[in-house]
Amino acid sequence: MTKSYPFEPEEAPPEYRGLPRINPLLCIGCGACTNVCPPNAVIRIDDCSSGTRRIVLDVGRCIRCARCEESCPTGAIRLTREFEAATDDRNDHVEVVEMKLAKCRNCGSFTDYTERQVHKVLSIIPPGILDFERIRDKLPLCSECKRSLTIINASRVGGEWR
Amino acid sequence: MKPRSLWVFHLNTGACNGCDIEILDVLTPYHDIERLGVKLVPTPRHAHALLVTGPLTRQAYYSARKAYSAMPSKPRIVIAIGTCACSGGIFYNSYAIRRESDRLSLEYPRKGGTSEFLPVDIYVPGCPPRPEEILYGIALLRGLVKKKMGGEHYTVKELVLPRSQFNAWVELLLRAKIRREIGYFDGYALLKDFMELVEKSNSPEELGKMVELMKKRIKDSRLRYGLEMLYKHYIGVVRMYESILAEKKVVLGVSK
Amino acid sequence: MIGEFERTFGAVLEKKTLGKKKVLYALRVRQEDFPKMVRFLLSMPTVRLFTMVGTDERPFEDAFSVTYWFADWREGEILGIRLYVPEDNPEYPSVASFHKGALWFEREVKDLLGLYAKGLPDPRRLILSDDWPEDEFPLREDFEYYSSPLSERKPQYLPKIEGTSVHAIGPYHIALDEPAHFRLFVRGEEIVGVDYRGFYSHRGIEKLARGRMNYNQVCFIAERVCGICGFCHSTAYAQAVEEAAKIEVPDRARYIRTILLEVERLHSHLLWIGVAAHLTGFDTAFMRVWEVREKVMQLAERLTGNRKTYGLVVVGGVRRDLLDYRVSMIEKFLKEIKKEFDRVVDFLLSARSFVERCRGVGVLTKELAREWDANGPVARASGIDYDVRRDFPYAAYPELSFDIPVYTEGDVLARAMVRIDEVRESLSLIEQAIDAMPSGPIMAGFNEIPGGVEGISAVEAPRGENVHYVMTEDSNVIYRWRIKAATYNNLQTAPDMLRGYTIADAPLIIASIDPCYSCTERIQVMDVGRWEPCP
Repeated sequence: MTKSYPFEPEEAPPEYRGLPRINPLLCIGCGACTNVCPPNAVIRIDDCSSGTRRIVLDVGRCIRCARCEESCPTGAIRLTREFEAATDDRNDHVEVVEMKLAKCRNCGSFTDYTERQVHKVLSIIPPGILDFERIRDKLPLCSECKRSLTIINASRVGGEWR
Repeated sequence: MKPRSLWVFHLNTGACNGCDIEILDVLTPYHDIERLGVKLVPTPRHAHALLVTGPLTRQAYYSARKAYSAMPSKPRIVIAIGTCACSGGIFYNSYAIRRESDRLSLEYPRKGGTSEFLPVDIYVPGCPPRPEEILYGIALLRGLVKKKMGGEHYTVKELVLPRSQFNAWVELLLRAKIRREIGYFDGYALLKDFMELVEKSNSPEELGKMVELMKKRIKDSRLRYGLEMLYKHYIGVVRMYESILAEKKVVLGVSK
Repeated sequence: MIGEFERTFGAVLEKKTLGKKKVLYALRVRQEDFPKMVRFLLSMPTVRLFTMVGTDERPFEDAFSVTYWFADWREGEILGIRLYVPEDNPEYPSVASFHKGALWFEREVKDLLGLYAKGLPDPRRLILSDDWPEDEFPLREDFEYYSSPLSERKPQYLPKIEGTSVHAIGPYHIALDEPAHFRLFVRGEEIVGVDYRGFYSHRGIEKLARGRMNYNQVCFIAERVCGICGFCHSTAYAQAVEEAAKIEVPDRARYIRTILLEVERLHSHLLWIGVAAHLTGFDTAFMRVWEVREKVMQLAERLTGNRKTYGLVVVGGVRRDLLDYRVSMIEKFLKEIKKEFDRVVDFLLSARSFVERCRGVGVLTKELAREWDANGPVARASGIDYDVRRDFPYAAYPELSFDIPVYTEGDVLARAMVRIDEVRESLSLIEQAIDAMPSGPIMAGFNEIPGGVEGISAVEAPRGENVHYVMTEDSNVIYRWRIKAATYNNLQTAPDMLRGYTIADAPLIIASIDPCYSCTERIQVMDVGRWEPCP
């Protein structure tokens, strides 16, 4: 009854919480996983000079709780059934997804969200509820410009009312 | 040269016991690590390799260093077992953990654990690792198996959005609901099937019929319950959406 | 307990009700009356010191606070007395000076918060590492969780008892699975005193939860308090938060928690029985018991996704459901486990080498067990009929029926028998829970956790009571979380068990309390030779 593993391959049961993997086609870089991860195994690194965001997953830090899978809005990060993660080089444990940050349409500096997030937000707005064109005008704006635009709008609206 | 029969000493540097019990477990009949020539020895003086577990607490640091220096000078292999030993795990920047590197930086690979004070030969992550995972790590060291991991760096331009507009919005709302009903694990898989029905159907009534058909096919009572709840919440969202639209029309009408 | 206490002392106290049969009294004036109150409470035959919590309440009360929690296991009542300790004079009257069970609590508060108990019998360092500076207190609010000041290393060992020699065990020793340093003072073969330095696994969990995590992330670090009874810890923590925030947990979630709690007890007790067989030199039984245990581990993996860290509990419910096929899997596994367990136990108990090795060794009398507030199988083997599952019911236990095995011999064999009987009870509990499990959701819906509320909850872990206390803060953060594991009290009884026996008995006796250092990791230097009897 002794198992013949490692001389014969073995699969973990279908319920097993194994190594997490990010599907780069689905990831929008929102960072929901980085907020819930208890050991900070998934982190978000923004580089404002080159305008990139990196979502970095280190399975050597991961405790495999699957909170990321639970919170990911697009189902990009999933726990697989793989478990053979032993290695002699810690770099083998790291998975990086790099994407572009959105550029502010007003001042041209990089915002604190990605282009993919903008796509996602625009894609999930149900028709008829919000004025689609106006939202698209507001996206993407950096937080500075968004604030000043809001103030300008508010004062204009207030003026009209008076 | 690859080592043959490893004599190992188990060094706990403040682990929660999970990895330690799994190390004990690989010695028992199911996994029987002695097949690979591994033997647990009672003192580091007899050991070729250290099986290190734990995030390296400050109190354990001194004795752990002593144990390492008590080993024969060759081969002195260090095997980090478990996520804590690989990188400090969930405890990585606590005040009680011994760490030379910066505690708040966003470096990667993430630092901490055994490599803070010893050169590590094999990292076996897992919280705790399955016994098979430990076996695999030892087999890797012995050269019996091939390495399966490799780092990835994606810079993909393409973005896939499986659903759009109303359906994408509904899916997000239903995700939160189904988690409460039957949990994320079975719930998300069920939601995926349900959304396919939603895409296919043209009206809530037609969807209702399709859901009934699907319920007949599913044998598991909990999945049937989940499907029922999904449909209920779906109808709730549709009603809400309709009422928002109706209100909006009224408001627009007044302003005109 | 609460009624009598209020009649006697109610006049000087501020009362706050936390829940059904749970009250908290604040003692703002006349702190010198406090020892009298504690003596009054502990003189009742079924009252025990439950836990003690020190909190830095300076941001809102302008003082530190120390809360002693008492539990009456016959009435099912929990009572707290809170003292406020000013920052400029951080002293309060000691309970440890007349009740042994409070010793570690008070030493812990001294280490982590810098509050001193007047009259503390042993004021040495307990928790922090030997190289920690004297004037830094990690649980204070002005201490950042990630700072880690170093200082010169000064181990504080006890002087050798005259006429003895020192036999050191650990920190790394083949008989110990976890690091801990025992120094046995022996006269020939006989143990006359024990000096003990532990806390090698102190990981600063309570502060991490305060500094880095939100309330739901804490569930996962709670699970990693201990790799054996982690699920008990995360359940106790979640229950404390649920009580504080008045969250109603769905029925199905309560049943799922119960089933997994019992699965965990199965694996833990089987682990212990195996190790006990190993320590008596009966390795065949060790291997065979662990063979049975492997089935439990496989079952847990299929139910939750991991063999050990179930990752199932979050505040408000559980994360995975038990689908029909998983339920029938439990039934199938249980049948096999039951059959094999009966066979293995017969095999183990028919071996005279095992039974005679355990009989009459490491005796703990009922009186001593009371003084040290021993709990779990250790207490039940010494004739104390106390079990959190029955006396402070939680999860689905009120709706299930089970026996609580109690033995009066107090030796290692009695502790083994308690655990063997409990395995059988667990098997029956799981069966009952499967049959009675209702349908419905598995997680409660709630908006956010209110700030400034408190909760206390206990779970009967395989080793005894795990008591968790929680005080919340706004924006979904836990302000103070206090873990008390069963071994915290049980380990303190070890010197009394060891005294008079020989070195060869020591590993077996220490193992017989099933110590879990990582749970407790707040170990003291015990000293049986010098300990004065309580007045």
